[in-house]
Amino acid sequence: MQEVSIFGLLVATFLMVIAKRTPALVRSFRYQSFFLFLATLIIALEEKQTSLYIVAGLIFILKVIGIPYFLQYTMKKINVRENLGLIANIQVSLLLALGFAYMSWVFSKQLMSFSEAMAILPAVAFFILLTGMFLMIFRLTAMAQIIGLLVMENGLFLLASAVLGGMPFFVEIAIFFDVFVSVVIMGFFVYRINKLFTHIDVNRLSRLRG
Amino acid sequence: MSMSNLFNNIILFPIDPLSLFFLATILIVTIPSFVYSFGYLKKEYSPAKILIGQILTFLFVLSMLVVVTVSNMLAFLVAWEIMSLLSYFLVVFDSEHEKSIRAGTIYVVMTHAGTAFLIAAFLILYKHAHSFDFKLVKMASQSLPAYIKNIVFIFLLIGFGTKAGIVPLHIWLPYAHPQAPSHISSMMSGVMIKTAIYGLIRFVLYLLGVNNTWWGTLILVLAIISCLVGVIYALMDQDLKKLLAYSSVENIGIILLGVGLAMYFMSKNMAYWAILALLAGLYHLINHAIFKGLLFLCAGSVYKATGTRNMEKLGGLIRTMPLTAFCFLIGAMGISALPPLNGFVSEWLALQAFFMGAWHIAGDGKVFLGFCAAMLALTSGLAAACFVKAFGIIFLAKPRSDYAVKAVEVPISMRIGMLFLAGLTIIFGLGAAIIINPLSQVAGFSLGVNTTGLDFSLNNITIQPLAGNKAVLAPLIIALILILCGLLGFAVYRAFRKKTSIPYNTWDCGYYQLDERHEYTATGFSKPFRIAFSFFLRPYRATKKIGDSFYHIRSMTYETHTTLVFKKYIYEPALGLTFKSARFMRRIQPGSIHVYLAYIAITIFLLILFVRKF
Repeated sequence: MQEVSIFGLLVATFLMVIAKRTPALVRSFRYQSFFLFLATLIIALEEKQTSLYIVAGLIFILKVIGIPYFLQYTMKKINVRENLGLIANIQVSLLLALGFAYMSWVFSKQLMSFSEAMAILPAVAFFILLTGMFLMIFRLTAMAQIIGLLVMENGLFLLASAVLGGMPFFVEIAIFFDVFVSVVIMGFFVYRINKLFTHIDVNRLSRLRG
Repeated sequence: MSMSNLFNNIILFPIDPLSLFFLATILIVTIPSFVYSFGYLKKEYSPAKILIGQILTFLFVLSMLVVVTVSNMLAFLVAWEIMSLLSYFLVVFDSEHEKSIRAGTIYVVMTHAGTAFLIAAFLILYKHAHSFDFKLVKMASQSLPAYIKNIVFIFLLIGFGTKAGIVPLHIWLPYAHPQAPSHISSMMSGVMIKTAIYGLIRFVLYLLGVNNTWWGTLILVLAIISCLVGVIYALMDQDLKKLLAYSSVENIGIILLGVGLAMYFMSKNMAYWAILALLAGLYHLINHAIFKGLLFLCAGSVYKATGTRNMEKLGGLIRTMPLTAFCFLIGAMGISALPPLNGFVSEWLALQAFFMGAWHIAGDGKVFLGFCAAMLALTSGLAAACFVKAFGIIFLAKPRSDYAVKAVEVPISMRIGMLFLAGLTIIFGLGAAIIINPLSQVAGFSLGVNTTGLDFSLNNITIQPLAGNKAVLAPLIIALILILCGLLGFAVYRAFRKKTSIPYNTWDCGYYQLDERHEYTATGFSKPFRIAFSFFLRPYRATKKIGDSFYHIRSMTYETHTTLVFKKYIYEPALGLTFKSARFMRRIQPGSIHVYLAYIAITIFLLILFVRKF
């Protein structure tokens, strides 16, 4: 059952890499979060811990429903073109992502010296982390940066569950709160940037340089 | 070590004579300055701004008090930083003047550079003592390796030297002190820079302990340079408050002469002379706090009454502001070391220490200490010239401009502040025999020498530092003699003067109608010194004549100024280099968020590789 969720996470992440438009990216993020929820729920069922159930529930409420909805709402409100603005085109992005996947696999297998069966989950987590970073660097709009950060957060969450068996409950809750607040703030900033510059292409902010 | 352990030894109550001495010094100057400020600030600023200023001033005084009483290095640093920041806010209090902002920036940069050195020194000490507590640091410093001690000493000297204004770290002082409101200048110049001397005594003499001759020698050399550079620049300046600020550099030099000489004697195992030297330094410290505070208050009164600090535009104020003139005269006489006022006592003690040292030390030290004494004498001579200029140009002769004509005496609160400090100037001169006793205890405590067996005073009238030799100072007797001479001279004058006076025009060399434009100027007064010290001052002079022919000139301009050697040859190249490297580093700043994110990603990868590799 866990394999399904891991596979889903991988597919959702690749979908994000090849997404050309913002709604597609948000949708893929929703899928990714859903599979993250699934993975957490399975761990919770296995370990029968109340706190894990709560964390899974929070993932569902915040990351599957709340944040994607808020992002879509912001997109609609600021009403800009939906192109993400690719610095690396889809083909190159895909190749890079494959490279990341391989790197993560090697990294988690050799450097962390895990057994192969155990290494899969950290490898996927690393891959999601790297992809989040990739999205932030190689996509032009501020929306992509927000989602990239959220993806990295997902990867980090997964890594913590895989390697450490989950973070302490209160830390987890605090992180959720942080993520939610930061998304709200960033959404507000995107709105402000758009109002001031009539676009959200952060590359053009370089004009502000002294 | 946990944080609670770091802080459980902060004692905010004065526990030793050194702290007590500095507490007294701070309070003696800040209280009259505070009283003075009520009259000074009125009508200069809006009530809200005055309130903010007074709160800041109060906190500033509080922070200085904390600096000299804590017994923990960490707490010391915190208080030190608070003091620096509050004084920065007070320097830029006149925020509408661009000059204030500039002065504040120079000040805050310099003082933070100094604090960086202090932090480094404290961390080195912490590494060896495993504690920030003074007692434990003192114990650990007994077993410190010599090279560590040397490094710590150099760092402390740079750190505290920046605050004290030792040449060549003095450049912020003539900008920041004049720019603050006058009561703040008086506190900064009078007391704040003394906290640096406190730091030097506390950390170098008391905690580290001196066992190198070169420490004392280095401080003595720096002190002599500070003395001469400070007083020469003071002589050249036409801005009254800037003159006083440069004079502070000079006086810090004199104080450091005492401190450095004490270190020199300690390394030679001459505890008695070390105490005398430190005593002279401490005496001059409190004296300078008093008369420099007083002079800055007087300068503030002149500024308040006339609206200018440029001496060339003043003159004749003794008729409109007699009390300010009197107080300024007392302060000027004190700072010029004229007997029987306080400056004379401390400089006499310092000279005495130098002579005794030169007498008792064998070898090269004799020549060196003799040379130091000569330089100190030169300094006091130049200081006297400087204050003759200041008093003469500002208060005597005819007013040189409308600013000076309209001057009126200042309000009562300002007069109280000035009179109190003028009184102290006299008391600290005449009461030297009594004051010297507690000071010798402070000096003995700082050096770790028991003073109970040593004698520094005699029968309340004379001071005899050396029981056997004839080194006697009696300010009371000197005062008496001077007063008698004055009375005698006056009596002779009364007895033999012509009974009738005939009003007559001054012989004017054919220039009929002499007016204030023919008066001696401050620039003119200092010209002989400008010529004598031209190798250092590098004066620049330009004359421009505009006229129909060589013989008929319609107008003429004359311009002269001196080159600020330290600024031009040390700070400007350093600043240029900094900007150049900053411009070079700017190439990696494209301003694009993506590139910055890529930088972060690359850094993380490199760090991971680094961690795996090592």
